[in-house]
Amino acid sequence: MMHEYAHPETLVSTEWVAEHLNDPKVRVVESDEDVLLYETGHIPGAVKIDWHTDEQDQVRRDFVDQAGFEALMASRGIANDTTVVFYGDKNNWYACYTFWLFKMYGHKDCRIMNGGRAKWVAEDRPLVREVPTYPRTSYTATAQDTSIRAFRDEILREYVNASGDRALVDVRSPQEYKGELLAMVGYEQEGAQRAGHIPGARSIPWARAVKDDGTFKSADELKALYEGEGVTPDKKVAAYCRIGERSSHTWFVLTYLLGYPNVKNYDGSWTEWGSLVGVPIEKNV
Amino acid sequence: MDRQEYIETLLDHYEHPRNRRAIEGAEIDFTGGNPGCGDIVHMFATVDKDDRITDVSFEGDGCTISQASASIITEMVKGKTLSELEQMSYETLVEELGSEVVAPRIKCAVLALGTLKAGAEEYRQKRRVAELQTQA
Repeated sequence: MMHEYAHPETLVSTEWVAEHLNDPKVRVVESDEDVLLYETGHIPGAVKIDWHTDEQDQVRRDFVDQAGFEALMASRGIANDTTVVFYGDKNNWYACYTFWLFKMYGHKDCRIMNGGRAKWVAEDRPLVREVPTYPRTSYTATAQDTSIRAFRDEILREYVNASGDRALVDVRSPQEYKGELLAMVGYEQEGAQRAGHIPGARSIPWARAVKDDGTFKSADELKALYEGEGVTPDKKVAAYCRIGERSSHTWFVLTYLLGYPNVKNYDGSWTEWGSLVGVPIEKNV
Repeated sequence: MDRQEYIETLLDHYEHPRNRRAIEGAEIDFTGGNPGCGDIVHMFATVDKDDRITDVSFEGDGCTISQASASIITEMVKGKTLSELEQMSYETLVEELGSEVVAPRIKCAVLALGTLKAGAEEYRQKRRVAELQTQA
């Protein structure tokens, strides 16, 4: 029997977005790794939320606080009851990251456009440069929901050599997992003092959850993928990558497509763990 | 220039890149990349006997800032000597590109300049080796 996604309403098609471009209850949000991609052209009516300049505190390494998130929502004309559809480059990495941030601050109706920006472009759908403006809203966020966010002490305490009711997923490339240095001339491994992975983490690269066209694999394929690695819905799961963007993608898959009830994204990820003094690291395994 | 003008300039170079081609037999022929985000630039330059850059070009793939910066760099360094290239600071380039716009992507912004400088250094080293071999 074919299984459906656990929360199919959170995944919308490019057709659905095209049909809702003028729906006042829907706000389309583009979040990219490439900071100027939105400016080259975007889905008509879409607003930009930059993962770095809009979502992060510009002094501490952390997200904007609750008030900052409320101000961001107001500036983009997003109300508490707005249906927000996220899309972006790189297979929706930052779309999922932004989705995750919205969920942390309690936004109810969040959706991902399946296939992301690349699929919209491949289908020759319209892109415009005009930046829309929407009336400011009054937005009330909740306190940050840390049931979906893991911090390093929790990882150290509960997920190193995870077994039993815990599972830790490293979603980076196998080369990053093994701790092999990338050999691009002139650029050493970025972002951390040490290479390798958190002991006990299962290597399930994020890309294994998507098809060639960037859309998500079927529920059955995803179930086989994660359960085959021992990452089952009865466990408390944490996912990490380099800065938490690719692991947001996996967090979305596990939480919304497979319906796992306890999944956290460790956004400190390798840039934090790989620079911590004294924490255990596994390499070449 | 204000922020929007910097963005327009970057987008213009991204969408209409200058000197985007290979140069066969170029003295400087060097590839650099940012493993973090997948940007790659391949820089080419011809250098005359006075160490002056007579032609410069690039090929590459990656984000808007990395590719726009490569295009802008080719316009900035043509006609300069290798010493002048080596003295060009990353800070000057970032100012030229619009520091506020490229601040979140400094590595992407300076990739082409860093690659060209590394290529120039490689060229000088090869030349020194060749000179030593001739003397020997």
